[in-house]
Amino acid sequence: MPEAYKLVDHVYDAVVVGAGGSGLRATMGLAEAGLRTACITKVFPTRSHTVAAQGGIAAALGNMGPDHWTWHMYDTVKGSDWLGDQDAIEYLCREAPAAVYELEHFGVPFSRTPDGRIYQRAFGGMTQNMGAGPPAQRTCAAADRTGHAMLHALYQQSLKHDADFFIEYFAIDLIMVDGACRGVVALCMEDGSIHRFRAHAVVLATGGYGRCYFSATSAHTCTGDGGGMVLRAGLPLQDMEFVQFHPTGIYGAGVLITEGARGEGGYLTNAAGERFMERYAPSAKDLASRDVVSRAMAQEIREGRGVGKERDHIHLHLDHIDPRILAERLPGITETARIFAGVDITRAPIPVVPTVHYNMGGIPTNYWGEVVTVRDGDPDAVVPGLFAVGEAACVSVHGANRLGSNSLIDLVVFGRACAKRIATLVKPMTPPPPVPRDSADFAIARVDALRHARGGSPTARIRLAMQKTMQANCGVFRNAEVLDEGCARIDAVYQQMADIGLADRSLVFNTDLIEALELENMVAQAVVTMHSARARTESRGAHMREDYPARDDENWMKHSLAWFRDGRVELGTRPVHTWTFSDEVEYIRPKARVY
Amino acid sequence: MGPAARSGTDLKRVRGLGAAHAGVHHWWAQRVTAAANLLLGIWLVASLLWLPDFSRAAVVAWVGQPWVAVPLALLVGSATWHMRLGVQVMLEDYVRDEGLRRLLLILLDFYAVGVAAVGLFAVLKIAFGAADA
Amino acid sequence: MARFTLPPNSRIAANGKTHPAPPGAKRTKTFRIYRWSPESGENPRFDTFEIDLDDCGPMVLDALIKIKGEVDPTLTFRRSCREGICGSCAMNIDGTNTLACTKAIEDIRGTVTITPLPHLEVIKDLVPDLRHFYAQYASIRPWLQTVTPAPHMKERLQSPEDRAKLDGLYECILCACCSTSCPSYWWNSDRFLGPAILLQAYRWLADSRDEMTGERLDQLEDPFRLYRCHTIMNCATVCPKGLNPAKAIAEIKKMMLERA
Repeated sequence: MPEAYKLVDHVYDAVVVGAGGSGLRATMGLAEAGLRTACITKVFPTRSHTVAAQGGIAAALGNMGPDHWTWHMYDTVKGSDWLGDQDAIEYLCREAPAAVYELEHFGVPFSRTPDGRIYQRAFGGMTQNMGAGPPAQRTCAAADRTGHAMLHALYQQSLKHDADFFIEYFAIDLIMVDGACRGVVALCMEDGSIHRFRAHAVVLATGGYGRCYFSATSAHTCTGDGGGMVLRAGLPLQDMEFVQFHPTGIYGAGVLITEGARGEGGYLTNAAGERFMERYAPSAKDLASRDVVSRAMAQEIREGRGVGKERDHIHLHLDHIDPRILAERLPGITETARIFAGVDITRAPIPVVPTVHYNMGGIPTNYWGEVVTVRDGDPDAVVPGLFAVGEAACVSVHGANRLGSNSLIDLVVFGRACAKRIATLVKPMTPPPPVPRDSADFAIARVDALRHARGGSPTARIRLAMQKTMQANCGVFRNAEVLDEGCARIDAVYQQMADIGLADRSLVFNTDLIEALELENMVAQAVVTMHSARARTESRGAHMREDYPARDDENWMKHSLAWFRDGRVELGTRPVHTWTFSDEVEYIRPKARVY
Repeated sequence: MGPAARSGTDLKRVRGLGAAHAGVHHWWAQRVTAAANLLLGIWLVASLLWLPDFSRAAVVAWVGQPWVAVPLALLVGSATWHMRLGVQVMLEDYVRDEGLRRLLLILLDFYAVGVAAVGLFAVLKIAFGAADA
Repeated sequence: MARFTLPPNSRIAANGKTHPAPPGAKRTKTFRIYRWSPESGENPRFDTFEIDLDDCGPMVLDALIKIKGEVDPTLTFRRSCREGICGSCAMNIDGTNTLACTKAIEDIRGTVTITPLPHLEVIKDLVPDLRHFYAQYASIRPWLQTVTPAPHMKERLQSPEDRAKLDGLYECILCACCSTSCPSYWWNSDRFLGPAILLQAYRWLADSRDEMTGERLDQLEDPFRLYRCHTIMNCATVCPKGLNPAKAIAEIKKMMLERA
């Protein structure tokens, strides 16, 4: 070892990395099943970014009108532009109502209908009757603070169950032995000690990597640390080119304004005051799928019909809605718009612009949360001991484009499924397999090298170069020229990592070091995102290629995989699952995607 | 942030010896005596202003009347009780040492009862006519 | 006695560093920031940073991130969502506890002085130790407690009126701005639960679905846990989410009286 770091060993049945919605749900489920469970998190659980989810959580409860989980499934498949795995999507949608009732039983303060049931609002792409009917009110809401209410409730539940929390511990690397995951190495931020966790199962619930982009609704902590660890472990990430732009991030600040704003009747206008979505999505209008709305907005701005001095954004109107309804259902964004846009939403429109919001891609898993890879021709080969849930994972239920309010349901359904799976695989209190003595050395060497790095490029400078590159070359509209340049530029950013220099050499709460570790995780994912985007020569969901404007089911109805070895991207594919979970519903065949 | 083992210790510290299941009566009594002090205080000030002069004879004669002695005795009780409760809060707020706090609370009790006894004795003595006129 | 003076190793040393604004900056603002690292062995100091506001975002957090990114990467603070919902970046800015991410720089006159949340142990720079605060949160058993089993594949019913009673309570983000602004919490945080935790306690007392009201009141009925609140009202003044913990505490006291 390069320097004597204090090394502390821990043994658990299962270790969860991350304490957002999915991590906490998994932790809770594991503890409930009697497994000795640790949850490692770099921020106190209620600071995780699930807290910022606003609009709601989708489940076909039918509290506001007719609904059925198969309708939810159809909408999700169509939203995914048929790239989603339909077995997983069926599992998600049929389990969704039970998961929401469970949250209510945990104490989530859902908004209520006059008869006391959970209030549900309309959201983009959610329809009745397999896409044929009117919009479905399917999104269960706690005003516009659903994620906050949910995350706090899940943390409260984990206090109730005995799980060990390692708070402000930063996970550095997985311990992989013969292709199986045996544990994880983490850094205690409070004193700089290294902790080696051995376990039968490691669950990555580390969230997305939105901060690869310059303007994102994501928190500063959304750095996709799990994806970085997986790439370093020699495993692939899946569908990384699919990056969702949320239509309504506040212009300038990038802060989210929920799609629920449009669900409650809000609409978008261009410089002429025209409700332009009527042209792009005649039937769903402002409640079309996010990729469709974001593209329409970007198109309006491109054609010179944006609002403002630079004509570079769009107006979101809520000023026609009864102020009492706004106060009851959208109090959070009322406050947010006032603080970050200086707008009183009862009187004036909010300036918004499509902003990076969600990563459909991530660590490939099956619907049990087991990480899969391609091995000996088997595209669904399970990586023993390794699991992933939430935005970090690519199950894939969101395919090429996630529907609003499907992420919160994804967190709890697959967090729970993963815990159940591990409970069937692991016998409680049995010792996990041994790990080599030097199993923490790789992680420690990385930490030590970064902590003493004396190069000429500060973390923030490299990070900015990465963010600007991703923003400019991997945005809403893509083509070969832009992506070729993007690959060259992002590869150069990766090269620049060799010249990184840190200023803080301390052990106690060294956030300079943490940000550098996060940057290493982000850069790798930025590189594979750009290369995957260049490789996919079709337009599907959030991935819009101007040079290949049509969906190409013949060649590209498959998941893309990307490995990152020694600074080089290797690409591959996995077939999309064209079967369902049960016999109760048939595979939904691809057709044209019109809203 | 330490592991749960350490946070368990934190929880033990927070839970301490458990809730005392007391406090509501103290809190309420403080408010009731405050209201009594206010009413009786206004009465006292108004009555004194009403007096023809502040000679000893005039005041003693005034106190000797039943409808003065009774409210005055009540004011002594209410004010010392309120003082007792309020100073207790201050001692609990600022005196960290458990032993010292306990001692000061005992002294406070002695002091409050003493002040009340002297005050009541004086009022009663005048009221029952034992004082020189 | 309560300690009214700083221990010797907490006194501010005079060796703060000054980082002037870049040449050509037209609109500069001075930030005076508390610095302390346990590894240095030195007393805390105030470093001074002059920031070009024309090249900086509007919020105090934007300035902190700019300083960390471009001037001094060793500056240490917590931050995450940057939109006032996660509660990470609570600190004392210009004498008031608030969130750096929602505090506009231009709302502060003159030099911006930033210190950690008061009366907590400092881990480093602007990062305080919140372990005790979190343990207090856990101590009130902050989850829905019922005896009646939950209905199968249905929600518990709650009228919109009963649900409205949770407004102004469930929005708490556990940033600790209120508790660490409360003098009573400064002196007695070891036993007084403080405004944030009492607001959380009332959130469950006010929930029509929770059936443990009596037991919860039992746990709060204590001269220190609850009755150290002397209605100083700093909590309601500083809450960055506009909540009123003092009112929640008053409601608890009312419930106590009702059953006394």
